[in-house]
Amino acid sequence: MSVPVLIFSADNIRGRIVLKALKHNGIDARLFGNNFELLDGLGEIKGHSIVIFDTKQYYSGFAPYSCEAREFEFLDSLRVSHPRCYVIVLSDASLVPMFIQKGFQTDLCLSDPLDPELICLKVKEILFLRSRAYLRIGMYIGVLYHMLFGERNNPYIRFVKNLLLSFALLLSVVLGLVGGFIVWSLSDLPKIQMLEEYAPLESSTLYSSDGEMLAELYFERRRFIAYYKIPTHVKDAFIAVEDARFYKHHGLDFYRLMGAAIENARAKSYVQGASTITQQLAKMLFLKPERSLTRKVKEAALSIQIESRYTKDEILGLYLNQAYFGTRAYGLEAAAQTYFGKKAEELTVGEAALLAAIPKAPSTYSPFKDTQKALNRKNLVLKMMLNQGLITGSKYDEAVAEPLPSYTPRPHYKAPYFVEYARANLEKIYGDNLYTSGFKIYTTIDYKMQEAAEQAVTSGLSRGLDDKTQAALLAIDIKTGAIKAMVGGNDFDESQFNRATQAMRQPGSSFKPFVYLTAFKDGLKPESTIVDTPITYYSNNGHTAWTPQNYTRRYYGTVSLTSALSMSLNAATVNLASKVKISRVIETARSVGIKSEIYPHLPSAIGVSEVTLMEMVYAYGSMAEGVKLEPRFYERIVDRYDLSSEASSQSGQRVVSQQAVEAIREVLRSVVENGTARAAMALRKPVYGKTGTTDDYVDAWFIGFDDRLAVGVWVGKDDHTSLGDGKTGGAAALPIWIEFMKSVQ
Amino acid sequence: MSDALEPGKVEETKPFKSKELEVLTGPVGLDIGTTNIVIARMKGTTYYSVKQLNAFFEVPKSNITGKVLAQNDIMFFSRNGQLFIVGNSAEQFASTFNADTRRPIECGLLSPKEDDGLNVIQAIIKTLLQPARKQGEALCFSIPGAPLHTTTNVLYHEAVIKRILQGMGYNPLSVHEGFAVVLSELADVHYTGIGISMGGGMCNICLSYLSVPVLTYSIQKGGDYIDTMAGNSLGEPATKIKIIKEKGLNLLKEPKNKLEISLHIFYEDLVVNLLQSIQQVMATSDRVPRFAKPMPIVLSGGTCLPTGCKELFDKVLKNIRLPIQISDVRIATDPLNTTAKGALIMAMSEES
Repeated sequence: MSVPVLIFSADNIRGRIVLKALKHNGIDARLFGNNFELLDGLGEIKGHSIVIFDTKQYYSGFAPYSCEAREFEFLDSLRVSHPRCYVIVLSDASLVPMFIQKGFQTDLCLSDPLDPELICLKVKEILFLRSRAYLRIGMYIGVLYHMLFGERNNPYIRFVKNLLLSFALLLSVVLGLVGGFIVWSLSDLPKIQMLEEYAPLESSTLYSSDGEMLAELYFERRRFIAYYKIPTHVKDAFIAVEDARFYKHHGLDFYRLMGAAIENARAKSYVQGASTITQQLAKMLFLKPERSLTRKVKEAALSIQIESRYTKDEILGLYLNQAYFGTRAYGLEAAAQTYFGKKAEELTVGEAALLAAIPKAPSTYSPFKDTQKALNRKNLVLKMMLNQGLITGSKYDEAVAEPLPSYTPRPHYKAPYFVEYARANLEKIYGDNLYTSGFKIYTTIDYKMQEAAEQAVTSGLSRGLDDKTQAALLAIDIKTGAIKAMVGGNDFDESQFNRATQAMRQPGSSFKPFVYLTAFKDGLKPESTIVDTPITYYSNNGHTAWTPQNYTRRYYGTVSLTSALSMSLNAATVNLASKVKISRVIETARSVGIKSEIYPHLPSAIGVSEVTLMEMVYAYGSMAEGVKLEPRFYERIVDRYDLSSEASSQSGQRVVSQQAVEAIREVLRSVVENGTARAAMALRKPVYGKTGTTDDYVDAWFIGFDDRLAVGVWVGKDDHTSLGDGKTGGAAALPIWIEFMKSVQ
Repeated sequence: MSDALEPGKVEETKPFKSKELEVLTGPVGLDIGTTNIVIARMKGTTYYSVKQLNAFFEVPKSNITGKVLAQNDIMFFSRNGQLFIVGNSAEQFASTFNADTRRPIECGLLSPKEDDGLNVIQAIIKTLLQPARKQGEALCFSIPGAPLHTTTNVLYHEAVIKRILQGMGYNPLSVHEGFAVVLSELADVHYTGIGISMGGGMCNICLSYLSVPVLTYSIQKGGDYIDTMAGNSLGEPATKIKIIKEKGLNLLKEPKNKLEISLHIFYEDLVVNLLQSIQQVMATSDRVPRFAKPMPIVLSGGTCLPTGCKELFDKVLKNIRLPIQISDVRIATDPLNTTAKGALIMAMSEES
């Protein structure tokens, strides 16, 4: 394919120089001295052409005719009329920028002095490209020949040089970018030294005081197992399926990488990964689970660092403690517990194979999700173990025959209301560490008592009470304030509202002892008297009148304080409160532990101000010994390093004189012996307490204590409706109390 | 002077006939120099050239004189009652009469001082060259380049000689003298280089690129300038100086006397002037291309004949930096016939 070359120059000598130079290089060309001839010459050409346009004399010749205006007129028209024409502009150096600005190809604008060789090269380059010489092998042989023996300025050599240069430049840029990318990717690489302080997120465990595990608290359910405790066959199972060359590579497995690439290419999709166990560990420990090149680079770098710092067994141990096995189980130990209810050290080959099958896709291969898939993959793991010589044939057969574990619902918290109460309070102290630091928390709960409490509540509620009825029970140690049992409702799963600690209810008559205690503190005695008769009380402004009435509507005139309380006489009690002043009653209640607001009016004397069961129990507990009790729910907390911290057990402050304690015990004992809680006599031991019933039988209470425990029972409905006629404290709450006390004797 | 152009006015001519050239045909190369007129032609693949001194000697006309001249084969013509003895014979006569010959060419161009200069040239040419056998035979004649630093124009010179040659039936074409040197001597480098014809009256310079005469010019200094300046310096006649110069001046040797010293000085002065002119012209021209390779300088003409002329150029070139690189300085193979040979090459290329 030949491309005609036309030279235009108003300067004949310059034109001839170019012409001769071209001819000397074997290129035929035609020289034109004016633009009309040139246009004629171009008119004959259909395809591509090359015009070497010498502006030298041309523009200076036109200078008198406003060179500025006409300067590019001809060349512009040439470009429009002959778009397939390559124009090589020869001009004064000062004009070159203007030509370039006008859109002429930069490398085809040549400035003075006239450079015939360069012009020839440019023409040759154009001819070379247009003729597609680069597609001919002969050209490359020619280039080689010229490079060795011929002229160095051959345009083909220039082409090949440019080609090589471009390739080298491209390669440099690519390498630079890749290098830069790697540097950038590694710039925020996590410090591998962090592994020295590696502490996996480990769940905390709550135990009862008698060693029963009550609950685990966690974000990720995980228990750590030291790598040297992991049985060999368990390690082998994971190595067989995850990284057969684990002990041979240094973090990255190039053989496997190539194999995976080939497999993926064959399958035309991503069917096989090439991540080693070390890479997976690096990803799990330090990186986000994104699928990006940056992450891969970081993963590779971290893997190499990990390998250089730790032994293979340590790496495997870290991996197994970190891996996720589904069902919220993190780490081998938690997985063994979850799926098989045993320690990792006790796993069989078949069980190990199943666990090794899971991490690839926990939601797919969990035996609790899809037994067939789990079984297939477990068998695959076993097959790989066999093929790799990690187990014998007989062991393989034995392991294949092992059944898959069946799903067993995880047991709920034990003492759930208490666990939740403890969790909420511990979280205030430890924050998120509570769930990640592997604490062992030994609580005050006596699990046998807890079971007794739950049983007592369940059976108590089954006696003539409807489904909506709730009950709560709280038992504390009157010496230490330690919570020994807590039931916050019928069913934790249904309602986590803790009626022992959260429900604000009117205590009714169970509040009365604080009135009597106030009187005893004032020097009155159980045998002191008070008038039991309807008395109308007026509010301070005189607008409201109130006349307290006894439950039986009977009034006994002058009665002893013991009788007044044991018979739960409202009129007498209010009369007493009015005498000792309600403000002092409130003061007394506060001193023994009532924290809720108590209205400073006489009706509060018979329990119209709402309190919690917990307040009442602690107040009774404080009255029992005269020493202020504070809630205490744990004995000690042991961290993962076996460092323990004890719960403060500072001795309580005496808030009630011994004399008053004896007096209140006497009157409360009288309630059991002669009053509304006579049923408790069945316990055949000295117990003290007081029933409470609110209007319309909305709440039924019994709070009492013996020489060891203070126990309170509340029965009622969350919507504050009536329990039903006759469902007094003595009828609804006391039986529960009695049953519990019987159980824990 | 225009009258002299009329061939009819030459009353009598006794032309010299070269027996060698009589048989030659084909293109002609003609060098009309200040000192000599040289004709070159081809015979087969061999160049042949003949020359005559480009000078004349005028004696009063008488019958006896005419007969004597004719009997002795002396070339002459008569005009206006004078006999004009031309060519080599003129010098013989001049020495006989202890006088100088006169020249129709001065400083490379027709001398305005000599009314009969053109007739002399015509007569000399006719002694060397027969009229064309066929009308329009190719003939290329040398002309000087435009002299630097003067307003002298070569057009008149070129045109009148062309007329003479056309009158002889040729199709005359002019070639610059320096370019003729390039054509003659630089075929091996694709006619790229600097050709310098160092004549008696002037030096012609041509920068050629691939046979394109990029720059052509002359300086009106040549062998005569050296003679005159040396003579003036020493109080000796230029003719004497010329004879000593042509006898065997060796520029490589240390000068032995004042005359040699002055010849050395003015030779160097001429070469410096020559190279400085090249430097100056190239610097001010926008035609000089960029040369990829160093190029040669080739010297021709009678003024480059003294031994050491090449070395003198080499020496001066070390101090004068030209805008192009010079590969070497050469002396033409036959310096006195180089221009004619170059003109012949040009004529042959035109004919082909």
